[in-house]
Amino acid sequence: MSEPRLKIPEGWEERAPEGWEWSELWEAVEVGKHIFTDEFVRKAIDTGINPRTILDDGLFPGFNLQGDRFTEQIIFIPEMLITARAMKAGLALIRPLLAAQAEKPIGVFVMGTVLGDMHDIGQSIVAIMLENAGFQLTNLGTDVHPDKFIETIKELKADLVGFSALLSTTVYYQKVTIDEIEKAGLRDNVKILIGGAPTTQDWADEIGADGWGRDAVQAVKQAKRLIAEPRTAWA
Amino acid sequence: MSENVSVTFVDGDGKQTSRKVGRGSTFIDAAQDLNLDIAATCGGRGRCRSCRIKVLKGILPPPTIMDQVQLGPDEVHEGFRLSCQTKVIADCTVLVAPPIAEGGHKILGAGVSEDTQFHLDSGIEKKLVAANTPKDENHQTSDMEMILVALGEPVNGDVPIEVLRKAPDVIRAKGGSLTVTTFNHRVIDVEPGDTTRHKYGMAFDIGTTSIVGSLVDLETGEQLASVGGVNPQAVFGGDLMSRIAYAQFNPQALRKLRSRVLAEINGYVKEVCGNNNISAGHIYKMVIVGNTCMHHIFLGIDPTYVGLAPYAPTVREPVVVTAKEALLKVNPNARICFLPIVAGFVGADTVAAVLATRIHESDHIRVMVDIGTNGEVVMGTRGRLMACSAPAGPALEGAQIHHGMRGAVGAIEKVEIDGDVTCETIGGAPAVGICGSGLVDAAAKMLEAKVINPSGLLRRDGGEGLPEKIKARIVEGDNGWHFVLTWAKDTGKDEDIYLTQQDIRQLQLAKGAIYSGILMLQKVMGVADGDIEELMLAGGFGNYISTESSVAIRLLPNLPLEKIAYVGNAAALGAQMALLSETERRRATTLAREIEHVALATNPDFQEIFVKAVVFGDETKRKSRTRTRTKVG
Ligand code: B12
Repeated sequence: MSEPRLKIPEGWEERAPEGWEWSELWEAVEVGKHIFTDEFVRKAIDTGINPRTILDDGLFPGFNLQGDRFTEQIIFIPEMLITARAMKAGLALIRPLLAAQAEKPIGVFVMGTVLGDMHDIGQSIVAIMLENAGFQLTNLGTDVHPDKFIETIKELKADLVGFSALLSTTVYYQKVTIDEIEKAGLRDNVKILIGGAPTTQDWADEIGADGWGRDAVQAVKQAKRLIAEPRTAWA
Repeated sequence: MSENVSVTFVDGDGKQTSRKVGRGSTFIDAAQDLNLDIAATCGGRGRCRSCRIKVLKGILPPPTIMDQVQLGPDEVHEGFRLSCQTKVIADCTVLVAPPIAEGGHKILGAGVSEDTQFHLDSGIEKKLVAANTPKDENHQTSDMEMILVALGEPVNGDVPIEVLRKAPDVIRAKGGSLTVTTFNHRVIDVEPGDTTRHKYGMAFDIGTTSIVGSLVDLETGEQLASVGGVNPQAVFGGDLMSRIAYAQFNPQALRKLRSRVLAEINGYVKEVCGNNNISAGHIYKMVIVGNTCMHHIFLGIDPTYVGLAPYAPTVREPVVVTAKEALLKVNPNARICFLPIVAGFVGADTVAAVLATRIHESDHIRVMVDIGTNGEVVMGTRGRLMACSAPAGPALEGAQIHHGMRGAVGAIEKVEIDGDVTCETIGGAPAVGICGSGLVDAAAKMLEAKVINPSGLLRRDGGEGLPEKIKARIVEGDNGWHFVLTWAKDTGKDEDIYLTQQDIRQLQLAKGAIYSGILMLQKVMGVADGDIEELMLAGGFGNYISTESSVAIRLLPNLPLEKIAYVGNAAALGAQMALLSETERRRATTLAREIEHVALATNPDFQEIFVKAVVFGDETKRKSRTRTRTKVG
């Protein structure tokens, strides 16, 4: 295993104004300085840098570095969460601008922890990574009723939905929620991804999910795989 | 095992006898070979403590479950063992039938004054009376009326049908001499002649993994026997949540779980009655504690919703049923008393432990921590008590740890790092794995030696600055980086025994869950570390971990070690107190109502606290690990 390194975006200088420097932002996201991140991104926006560029060249390098380290277990939940917080501060400013530019997300993703379950630490890490990967993400939080999933899927015309469950008692509701989506006649419109510590690929197969993610990186991989698969288009 | 080891027995007069015995034979067999008399009242089945020995010198053999049950955690800790159960594993010197401090019903913990000692008032009264049979047809009366007249005190409620069925014979058998048994002034039994001497009760703590119980003489308060073993439901799911998942929406599975535990308890009843020559009909009261799920299953109440948010129990008030309703084979009208519950994951066992530790009577802040897969924390003083559940998961029992194992022979339980690593194993046998206490100790020592840093990172920089022998133990293997505790040649299984980075992360989650529970209660109650007068470690695991290491890795707050005490199975003790005293049982009800439950999941501060709690120190520095590009120009 090689040590994850900061991947400096190739040719970033050409996309930035003369004398511009991203390294402080890379580091700010890496160590999780959310206030600094917020200020820096505002400055970049005011300077007139393209929001897509701010995201790719400014925010991603530090985040991806931590994401790789988290997967390699070099860092742990605390470090990952503060990086996620800084990233979110940046994203909050960038997202509306991307939308205004009519930039399309790579897919609409609805995420939540299933009924009966209050665990969301893992799920929130998965959510931010999916968002970074270009999905338009709606996180319904914890203890989410199947009806709430269905309602949101319909409303947002979701492409993908993800269910997290951390309890032996609530993995059952991953199945129930899939069954309900089926009953609602939406099963062919969305791809379903499941995860959480007690889940396995076998369980995903058994309940008819389309994919399973062991961790956040796998979650993104699976989501990208599934978005490319054929689905019935929303009316 | 053919290898021979030497055992020396010392008797009460100081006389010593030694011999070589085969490794693995029991102490009692070794003694018998030497014609030394060790009394084994129960026939060498680990059911009494007459054959106890104390290990004076040499390696302490690992305690068996019967050692735990019969002798209790304190005695086991001090080196007491049952000679019929414990095997000779290495050279040692043991004292035969050493005096054992009859713990009796001592109240646990500090700051308990004399007047908080409880009184014997079990609620069960037996009275010998002389009743006349009805004589005159013109005088309207009945057998039962005559018995109650003879009893001469007001009674409450209806007389149970079993008693009515016995009454005609009982009143006539011994010329009207009969014994009436009441529970809180309700008639529960009548017997011919004088049986007032026979008045027994049992207390049980039903845990997810093990059950412990005792038989007590309700007249004298004396403990006559203790019983215990593995919870037979475990085959349907080792941990609590999988037990609930098994019974989830499945009445048949619930019946199966229930009948398992009932059969076990009825087995214990039979066993103690046989061994002590008493009749099961003379057991009139039982107090049962356990976590909410065990409680519900025992009563045949569906535990499904305990396992789903908002994790609400079906009943929290104390439940009292008759033995016949509970399907227990003691006196059919014996009262089976379940202590009250606080929340889905703060059960009757916690209430009993609070009762026994008297947190509610102390003037200063005391904390009780049950370190377990589903742990609990209780904090407070007279007037205010708070509790939360702290779901550590099974890492501290050795599960989900690469070389993890339960605390059995060959488990590394202590680690020293000083130039190189030395490990102590249970029973002194070659290492075969690492148990929870070893894991905590290893992490503490690795932290101190700078093999891991406070964020939990196992060094992967080549170990610059570390002693050569330590450096050599940091290895990159198939499961990522790991730290070798025992090299293959010194183990009992021909492979290096090590901790992986992943193991450290699992430990962080487990200890983080416990510590965040403590931190959360501190925050809600406004308690600083310095305000804590005593922290008590309850439950089985608590007895074996090093307090120093627990503090070092912040499984426990940074308190002076003398403020941390082991209190053993406080829940079982609390159950006994409620058995012997109705005052105590009532107190449990008030207590349960007073304990405020703090739900961690819905508390907005939880994540922030958890993040602090998973690291191995009080403060983490935010520092870039790699130098990003230095500023241009
Ligand atoms: C933190 C924690 C809590 C916190 C949760 C806070 C929160 N907001 O999430 C609190 C303390 C509130 C909590 C509560 C409970 N907990 Co809890 N908790 C844990 C703990 C310690 C860590 C879980 C965690 O966050 N892991 C870290 C994250 C990063 O990992 P992760 O969630 O698995 O996520 C990763 C992957 O699974 C994947 N992933 C996750 N979701 C998804 C979704 C998709 C779509 C995909 C693709 C991938 C994916 O990616 C993530 C990142 O890599 C574990 C024990 C342990 N040692 O693991 C118990 C544990 C999960 N809890 C458990 C239990 C039982 C409970 C309770 C129900 C009961 C109790 N004993 O207290 C209560 C709820 C009661 C109540 N009233 O609150 C049990 C479950 C046992 C079982 N077999 O079901 C565990 C295992 C502990 C134990 N007792 O054994 N808990």
